[in-house]
Amino acid sequence: MSGDAKAVTSQVADVPLSPHFGWAWWLSLLTAGGLVGLLGYTLISVSIIGVGVWGVNIPYVWGFDLINYAWWIGIANGASLFAAILVLRRHDLRTAVNRFAEGIALFAVICAGIFPIFHLGRPWLFYWTFPYPATFQVWPQFRSTLTWDFWAISTHVIVTSLLWYVGLIPDLATLRDRARRPMVQGIYGVFALGWRGSVRHWAYHQRAYRLVAILVMPLILIMQSTVAFEFAVTLVPDWHETRQPLHFVVTGLAQGLSIVLLVAVLLRWGLRLGRYIDEGDIDLLGKLVLASALVAGYLYIDEIAAALLSGGLTQEATFTRMTGEYAGLYWTAIVYSVVIPQLFWLRSARLSTLGGVFVGASIGIGIWFDRFSIIVGGLQTEYLPSIERNYSPTLPETGLFLGTIGLFAALLLLFVRILPVVSMFETRHDEHEEKSS
Amino acid sequence: MTQPIYGIMAEFKTPEALMEAVRAAKRAGYTRLDAFSPFPLSDLATELGVRTSVIPWIAAVAGLVGAVIQYGSQYWMNAVDYPLNVGGRPLHSWPAFIPASMIVAILWAGAATLIGLLVILRLPRLNHPVFAVPGFERASEDRFFVCILQDDPKFDSEAIRDFLGTLSPLAVREVPACE
Repeated sequence: MSGDAKAVTSQVADVPLSPHFGWAWWLSLLTAGGLVGLLGYTLISVSIIGVGVWGVNIPYVWGFDLINYAWWIGIANGASLFAAILVLRRHDLRTAVNRFAEGIALFAVICAGIFPIFHLGRPWLFYWTFPYPATFQVWPQFRSTLTWDFWAISTHVIVTSLLWYVGLIPDLATLRDRARRPMVQGIYGVFALGWRGSVRHWAYHQRAYRLVAILVMPLILIMQSTVAFEFAVTLVPDWHETRQPLHFVVTGLAQGLSIVLLVAVLLRWGLRLGRYIDEGDIDLLGKLVLASALVAGYLYIDEIAAALLSGGLTQEATFTRMTGEYAGLYWTAIVYSVVIPQLFWLRSARLSTLGGVFVGASIGIGIWFDRFSIIVGGLQTEYLPSIERNYSPTLPETGLFLGTIGLFAALLLLFVRILPVVSMFETRHDEHEEKSS
Repeated sequence: MTQPIYGIMAEFKTPEALMEAVRAAKRAGYTRLDAFSPFPLSDLATELGVRTSVIPWIAAVAGLVGAVIQYGSQYWMNAVDYPLNVGGRPLHSWPAFIPASMIVAILWAGAATLIGLLVILRLPRLNHPVFAVPGFERASEDRFFVCILQDDPKFDSEAIRDFLGTLSPLAVREVPACE
């Protein structure tokens, strides 16, 4: 460590402290803000008119609300799980990736949380899932997976945001000390809680951070399985399979990794952070994405095998999903989440920004189609002619989905603008270790 | 003495120099020391005798309490206070109570550890005597500080200034106490 230590992290610190950020950021924020407006509009309309504005109807009681919920929660869990594994392994990649991976997890779980609440139909009564002494003296039904989900989502939001914030405190102190304008200094100062870098504080901080980061790991596995159990406890033939939790965990991890990769290449390109998120990091992320896509491919094969081994309705439902009217969804999912990522066998594809964006988005899209296929594809055969209908999302549902994408993008843009996207103290620590070794 | 002081602080350029200074101060018999650095230095923490083993205990105890409360309340609500018969399944259907108990255990453990951390560190504390030292803002970037506190039994302002001066610091400064 020497006099150029200041230069080590100043580029990261300069991003949130720079008074101007360019028109591209404003334009992106404006677009995202427009979509957030759309989100507000669709949420108000569904609150006033009711879930009838959605295309859901018997037998399709779960439409875009659950598809997008399962998709967002997969991104959140995948990104969290990845960050936790990096902390557990004390992997060098965590310096570059963890801060924004945890951010992605937090923003995605916020987007995910919107869907089940509005899916309730009367969202203002969502607190009924919490066991409080109600006038009617009725308690929630704790055998229901939906109440498990209430605990899982709220735990994920609370623990991830606390962890993220505690990890940010030392970096907020750096911003406080570097800021020149008194108001900026004051704001970062308050949020830095008076962090003064005492060695004693560091020791406790690191121990607590690491411990909670690792605690997140079982949480994510339980949570993603809980999502799958919500399907598994129903009577729908295609859903109550024991392989379902594994399918959700694995595809969720692929999805989380791919969004982390997507954001990593965009940050690297947009903020010129090549020094902190270096080629080795991107290469390794690419390999992990490829590996997770291969495991997802294995799970798709397993699905076919499980269907062949089963019989009757289950088999019929699974094969209907692959060949029936919704077969397009199923095969699109496989092409996007398993076939396209094979591009990453090429080193040049892994290292190129365009390749990262393309494959990252591709897996995201693929898993979205997978959730769509799972939720509506297995419901197709019915015996009553009166309910022979298909599901297609209505405009308010599409607006809701686009709105959450806008919300996610807006939160990400604000995060990039006001907070350091790479952990500065971890970077300093790494540089020091490299020099002394 | 005119003004009450918090301690005497020396500034260093490298973590190695800080480590040396802390060792020398301990050899010289000083016991009330604090060091400041822009990133975690675990060796130095060990040298200063920091023991963080309370952290996992907080997590374990809080997790256990959370799990017991969650399991107990589910049992009491669904089997005792308002027995709910769902398709003839046992009232105390324990497997269904496990996932929420585990999740809430993690909630308690995680929240207690991180909030407990702030309590242990006595943060937030926005004003602190060390912030008055000129140049201390670089403790969050690239400078390393050691401070011998005024409540040290061997505390003698002049002697400490001379002692710290022998360790080739960038600067030695008096830290005035707050108020």
